[in-house]
Amino acid sequence: MKNAEGLSMPLVEIENLTKSYRKGGQEVPVLRDLALSVDAGEFVALMGPSGSGKTTLLNLIAGIDRPTAGVVRVAGQDLGKLSRNRLAAWRANHVGYIFQLYNLIPVLSAFENVELPLLLLPLSRAERRKRVQVALDAVGLLDRHDHYPRQLSGGQEQRVAIARAIVADPTLLVADEPTGDLDADTAGQTLLLLKRLNKEMGKTLVMVTHDPKAASAARRLVRLEKGRLVDDVVPLASANGHSPRARATIGE
Amino acid sequence: MLKYLPYVRKNVFGHRVRTAMTVAGTALLMFLFLFVSSIQEGLDRLLSGRDDRLIVYQAYRFCPPSSQLPVFYDEAIRDVPGVRDVLPVKVVVSNCRASLDTVVFNGVDPKRLPAARGHFRFLSGDWSSFQARTDAALVGRRIAERRGLRPGQSFTAAGVTVQVAGVFASDATGEENVIYTHLPLLLNQKHHEEFHVTLFEVALADPDQAESVAAAIDAKVKSRFQVPTETKPQKAHYQTALADLLDLIGMTRWLGLVCVGVVLVLVANSVVMAAQDRVKEHAVLQTIGYSGPRIFSLMLAESCLIAVVGGLVGIAGCVAWLVWQPLAISTEGVSIDFVASPQLATWGLGLSLVVGLLAGLVPAWQAGRAEIVTSLR
Repeated sequence: MKNAEGLSMPLVEIENLTKSYRKGGQEVPVLRDLALSVDAGEFVALMGPSGSGKTTLLNLIAGIDRPTAGVVRVAGQDLGKLSRNRLAAWRANHVGYIFQLYNLIPVLSAFENVELPLLLLPLSRAERRKRVQVALDAVGLLDRHDHYPRQLSGGQEQRVAIARAIVADPTLLVADEPTGDLDADTAGQTLLLLKRLNKEMGKTLVMVTHDPKAASAARRLVRLEKGRLVDDVVPLASANGHSPRARATIGE
Repeated sequence: MLKYLPYVRKNVFGHRVRTAMTVAGTALLMFLFLFVSSIQEGLDRLLSGRDDRLIVYQAYRFCPPSSQLPVFYDEAIRDVPGVRDVLPVKVVVSNCRASLDTVVFNGVDPKRLPAARGHFRFLSGDWSSFQARTDAALVGRRIAERRGLRPGQSFTAAGVTVQVAGVFASDATGEENVIYTHLPLLLNQKHHEEFHVTLFEVALADPDQAESVAAAIDAKVKSRFQVPTETKPQKAHYQTALADLLDLIGMTRWLGLVCVGVVLVLVANSVVMAAQDRVKEHAVLQTIGYSGPRIFSLMLAESCLIAVVGGLVGIAGCVAWLVWQPLAISTEGVSIDFVASPQLATWGLGLSLVVGLLAGLVPAWQAGRAEIVTSLR
């Protein structure tokens, strides 16, 4: 990402971000005066205890929630300035969202689930078909294209969901506990896939996780507590594992 | 929008039981709607169009057996200015009250019938086969289909036995429910009625003069003969004969509207349930870039699909049934066909679509307006 002067810009810029919800007539703050920037090509893990605001932050970055105050700018676009419908169109072009519980449409086949985001783009049927095949191939499920979610394992469902997230070639991938509902082996495979997407395809990834193992797949760890950013480190892997600060951040 | 059709179709038909119940309910109600509308359509056809005939009936009499006019009135009526032709008709009905299976015999002079009914299209038989036998009968297409009558077959109703000489079709509504036979055959049925017919059918030289010619006929009969007549244009005569049924048929219009209202509620209920079941799914769609208006239109399309499929099944079923089993309701010798015309079927289908749109409006609007984060939770 480069600005008008040709200088490099972060892909995600968050300034003075505050988010609060109304609960029982009272304002409950979730995020307080938060600042963060993510460069293109980064793989960031958002960590923190329950209620720390990590999913809320992820949702704000993905443009599915609105800040109470502050700015969320993604790919140069201030999301707060977009109308509801324009924000939807923006999401279709810029964000791939991976859910914890996959959230595939049960009545659609794997192919049709992956095709859903492409229906919003001006593509021919042949182009859509080709892109769905590429996405399913990338997650190793091309041979299961005609299977329905009920015919797939949890890991396979999550891979279909990842294919759905990447099929429109979004600027940013966000994942909310993508391994939270998977067994250890399947979680490992899913993380490998996410790492591949980041390394080989250059996808920028922001992932919320509780799981230290999942966090260790990321190249940068951001820790939140009570709605504030308390730590932001790059876990340099060594022969013995992560750096001591990174180990502290991910709770190893 | 076509590219979203698989999504819409699979969502509708993926929930088989719920969709089947809604489609079945819609189909039954649209069947009923078309059925009652077909009576109205038949009545409209019977009473619409140009009136070029008068019916001379005995005054203050309604049911065919009660109208007894001497045959010799024929000559007096023929001499009234404006009268082109006169056909004495003896009407014998199997049931004078309202019935779905009334047999109406019209006894006429077989030599004069071809002139009066030159518009008949013979599906079988011809004029000569009708004139060849004294008990021959020309059977209207609808009653032939209803009773399964074929040429050569002997048939008895209302104490009259005839042999089918032919089956005819006619564009004039009501005629296809009549069986024409020889006048002497019906006159001989009861010894005291030998010289009486039920009515005289008068062909007018100028249909615009109907009222004045009718008045002239009644005045002439009154001045010369003992039994007075009441002459009316044919459609007005039908209206008088059907007076009791008209109110009931008017009521069926409301019944049809109630059916449409119930379809609306049924489809709306199904779409509301679908929307409530899929709150999270819609949030996921919004997350991947589907806008509120897009989700609104997808839900509306589902609602329309259910209503149109249900409507199509019900309407097709009703049309097929009325083709297979032509129905007519008769009273006092006048029959109203149940007419499920292509126009009526198209109207019914259009109404299904409108009902689908209306039924889906509120749930679709709610689905399109839902907050993503709240819905995902």
